[in-house]
Amino acid sequence: MKTKKQNKAQMKIQQMSFMIIAVFTFFAVVGMMVFTIKLNSIRISADELEAQNAKLLASKIANSPEFSCGNLYGGSKTDCVDLDKVMALKSNIGKYSNFWGASNIEIRKVYPEWIWEDKECTPNNYPNCSMIHLITPSEKGEGKYNYVSLCRKEIYRKKIDGRTFDEVVDKCEVGQIIVRYGGEEE
Amino acid sequence: MINNKKGAMEFSFAWIFAIVAGAIILSLAIYGVVKFMNMQSSEIDAQTAKGIGVLLNPLETGFEDSKRVLMEISTDTRIYTGCSNDSIFGRQTITTSQKLSGEWSSEGVNVPFYNRYIFSKNPVQGKDFYIFSKPLEMPFKVADLIYITSTEDKYCFVNPPDEIEDEIKILIKKNTKKNENFILENRRVNCPEESIQICFDTQTGCDMNVNRNLRRVQRSSETLWYEGDALMYAAIFSSKKDYECQIDRLMNRTEQLYEIYQDKAEFILKKTNCDSELDIEVMRMINLLKNFQDSEDLSVIYDMSEEIDKKNKAYPECRLWY
Repeated sequence: MKTKKQNKAQMKIQQMSFMIIAVFTFFAVVGMMVFTIKLNSIRISADELEAQNAKLLASKIANSPEFSCGNLYGGSKTDCVDLDKVMALKSNIGKYSNFWGASNIEIRKVYPEWIWEDKECTPNNYPNCSMIHLITPSEKGEGKYNYVSLCRKEIYRKKIDGRTFDEVVDKCEVGQIIVRYGGEEE
Repeated sequence: MINNKKGAMEFSFAWIFAIVAGAIILSLAIYGVVKFMNMQSSEIDAQTAKGIGVLLNPLETGFEDSKRVLMEISTDTRIYTGCSNDSIFGRQTITTSQKLSGEWSSEGVNVPFYNRYIFSKNPVQGKDFYIFSKPLEMPFKVADLIYITSTEDKYCFVNPPDEIEDEIKILIKKNTKKNENFILENRRVNCPEESIQICFDTQTGCDMNVNRNLRRVQRSSETLWYEGDALMYAAIFSSKKDYECQIDRLMNRTEQLYEIYQDKAEFILKKTNCDSELDIEVMRMINLLKNFQDSEDLSVIYDMSEEIDKKNKAYPECRLWY
């Protein structure tokens, strides 16, 4: 008699335990789903803010002191990149890795059209090159771009009365500044 | 539940078990909901802070001098600005806290920016904020300094010099939508009672006194040294601790920019044979900047930058900046 009662009680406890486990599992699954959705929405808004930042950065970076021509090339120019300065920046870029919040900054010549293959600028081939990668050499991540003038000092060899003279002149070309973000996650 | 023969209530094990388990489940659920709501408010705070930082992008000037915009936030907001100089360029952090159902949320996530220099009361509180910026030049542009003021904080400028008066008039004119917080008065007594009074040169007795000859802002027992109008506004709107930290960051950026110009000079010399003849002065300047301690050292650096600027202008063909 006692054993029968004990068995019944044990059965009830087992039922209860299963029920509790089921309820806990249900809440856990629901919680996980809510958490995943929330995390996803946070990631989406973070991506949106990053994209917005990159877009605004692309349009203003040419005017930041590390890139800007200032008044150096014949009066005040906005959206003008001093390429000589960028080449100097390239050799110091390690310090600037997080500075602008972009995973990469890229400068490309657009016009006059570069007829040879894409050529990275180095102190040896400059200015006979078509692009400068700052921060990382990769082109991963989404990019936002803006058109800019790319200006530099150049030697112009002129002939007067059969004699050759070297003159330092300002030379400007059309280019693009591309700001990439989110490259490291790929 | 069972009533025994004597009338007392007896709980079966199943009942006790159900009550205990139910209580645990309920308390876990309540804890989860509270945590979730806190996470939600932290998310809003972090989004607002990052949003403010992103919104500051267009404020960085090209060649215009100063711009002022009104930032409107739908709820009462506290903007906490932090400054740290633990790395080369240091960090500007923005944190926000918003008033939700009558209570201030705890400070949200610290959003860092490495290329921003914000000067404001800490925290600055309100729904509407005026933001304006001015470039710092040493002698080339180093950065845009951003000033955030709440429309709740009124700043009364007492008899400022003409150039400051003109600039403030332009700022006021550009943004006279509502709640103007910059006031120009000839006499201190005309300032609104709750306003922060800023006196210039001979005037005394204000909350702040700006001495344009000694180039310092005096506030109770604190002295903040400045050079140029951009830093004068910075000293007016921020605390001494934040000001000194930001100046340190700015001087580090100036040093890095001088190093870039030093490399540029070498690069141009090799490429075009054009010698800017600034190498010695630039090296001296880099050394001065390396030894920068606090805002009191600004005058030496500023004088040196003026000397460099004169020399740079003397060789128009090989100028490094202009």
